[in-house]
Amino acid sequence: MARTHDAQSTLRALATYGDVILEAHLNRGNRIALNDDNVGVLETLEHHRLVWRLGDTEDLQLKNVLVRLLDHITESERRRFASAQVDRLWSDLNRLFVDYREAKKRAAFTDKSRIESEIKECLSEIIEDIRNATDTFSSYISSGFSYITDMDLRIRKNHDVIERAGQLNSLFESFNTQDLADQAGNDPFLKRLLLKYLPAALEQGQKNLSYALNQLRLTLVRLREDQRLSKLVGGFESYFANNRGYIPSIDDLDLGHCPAPLNKVAPFAIVARGDIYDPADDEDLIALAQTARTLGADQQGTEPAAALQTVEFDVAGASDPEEEDPVDELIEQLVQFVVDGDIGDGEIDALEALSASGLALDAATWLSTLEAQIDSLAPNDQSQITVEYESQLDPLYKDNLYITGMTLRRSNESRI
Amino acid sequence: MQTNPLFERTVSALLAGEIICEYSHDELYNYLLTQPVQQKVSDFLQQMNRTLRQTSSHDAWLCSYQDLSRPDAKDAVRQQFREVANHLEALVQFLRLVMMVEAAQRPISAGEHLREGKMLERISTAPSLEAKLRSLCEKDLFRTKRSDSAGQLRVVLENLTKAGYLKPIGTSGSVFLATAKWSWLYDVMTFIQTHEGIREDNAEDDPQLRIV
Repeated sequence: MARTHDAQSTLRALATYGDVILEAHLNRGNRIALNDDNVGVLETLEHHRLVWRLGDTEDLQLKNVLVRLLDHITESERRRFASAQVDRLWSDLNRLFVDYREAKKRAAFTDKSRIESEIKECLSEIIEDIRNATDTFSSYISSGFSYITDMDLRIRKNHDVIERAGQLNSLFESFNTQDLADQAGNDPFLKRLLLKYLPAALEQGQKNLSYALNQLRLTLVRLREDQRLSKLVGGFESYFANNRGYIPSIDDLDLGHCPAPLNKVAPFAIVARGDIYDPADDEDLIALAQTARTLGADQQGTEPAAALQTVEFDVAGASDPEEEDPVDELIEQLVQFVVDGDIGDGEIDALEALSASGLALDAATWLSTLEAQIDSLAPNDQSQITVEYESQLDPLYKDNLYITGMTLRRSNESRI
Repeated sequence: MQTNPLFERTVSALLAGEIICEYSHDELYNYLLTQPVQQKVSDFLQQMNRTLRQTSSHDAWLCSYQDLSRPDAKDAVRQQFREVANHLEALVQFLRLVMMVEAAQRPISAGEHLREGKMLERISTAPSLEAKLRSLCEKDLFRTKRSDSAGQLRVVLENLTKAGYLKPIGTSGSVFLATAKWSWLYDVMTFIQTHEGIREDNAEDDPQLRIV
């Protein structure tokens, strides 16, 4: 008796709070918000064990047994919510089914024929609507919502479209095979329409829709990753702006458990040489050696080597003449002039000599090269030359001298 | 034993510290697509205290140390990190510059094209972008004495190509493909963000971005 009483009480609670429960089921993902307005309904439903929650502060969730009942009793509502157009056509079609059966019962063949064409037209519209509804999603997928520039708005739009696809999916699920078979009865005309054409359209629609939903979810994941990276870059940019000269460091880390992104190897060079000890490689190595010899350093890699009729190896003792450096040559001449006393009174101004030579060389390089060359002379030659420096003191560092000119003179000892 | 040129090139590239992706080494990336090949490469590397790893976005392969208890491995990881850390500011500035030039709300990712001509056109019409490029060229990674935007941009793109972040495509030499080395850089940045407690950028809108 007590059990019957409890069950009746539960059914009465469902009737009393039907609106809130339906709202939670249809629009709020089976959740009832935890607020002052819902205190009564929540207490009652908790008392009848129709809701659950993990924490005290969380919203209450309808229990699965109740959700299954609601799924069953709200099919028509879900259909209307998902696509009002398809729902309207389906209602029209149901009325036409009634008229059709009535005309058939009364043997009104003209009316029956007319209603048959109306049913066909209505059903073709439903099928067309189902196709159109699923096709809409492919345009969203191909665009990737790129027409929305703001990342947050793009993510929100993606959410909306996923929700709409979910609603359409609910609509397709609401047409179950058993209902359609009941509707068709034994009538061959209705059976053909309801058990052949409509299920085929629904099946195709569901297939397209599940693909669309999958793609939309992937797009959403990508958009969220893009948003994360954008925030990451923005965060670093601000941090660098606010902390001048900041350089991240991992010196404090032991690296015993190295984070995966940091674990990257240092370059490991793999070097191999030709095997000169294996006679089998001789021919290849000789060919390589010949190619290396015929290529000049400046030609290497730019032109193919000219084909040779014969290969000539260096004769022992042969030498290639090396081009003289014009600067070295000039210095050598100057030293010779000074030592031999063939010029003026045996005195040469280094900068004048440079300008007379026509060499494109700056004064500093010229003076330092000249000094280095004189330093490198043999002691006997060096003792025959006296160098006089023209210099300026550094205005700031008094110990420093800037050399601005050099005069080379034959030393007095050597003149005598 | 028969040699396998693809195996040799793949292992050489991995040991040299290169990041293998569809855009930088398409042939090697395709070679690594199958599990038996991954296993073969990994087995080889393990004999040298190394292993095969993927970036978190699964779009690139790289070589990691298997056992980091050895001091030389730890030193190498620290050295690799320093190389990124020293240039991180320049790389972040480049990412922001591209976002502004392309009027995009996300940083560059693997497989995207960068067209030098288009970038230059936008930079030269916006003084703020020119200033950003100039500031970028004062960083070590992109340092140059060039004072014109075209020359500066060329140096930036060339240096990123040398560093493996971009790959030139086509015959003009002015179109570049972003490689998945960016994915690896984002992984490193994500780690640094967590490790150093750097907050995400929560600015609702960047007025400069809007102007561009």
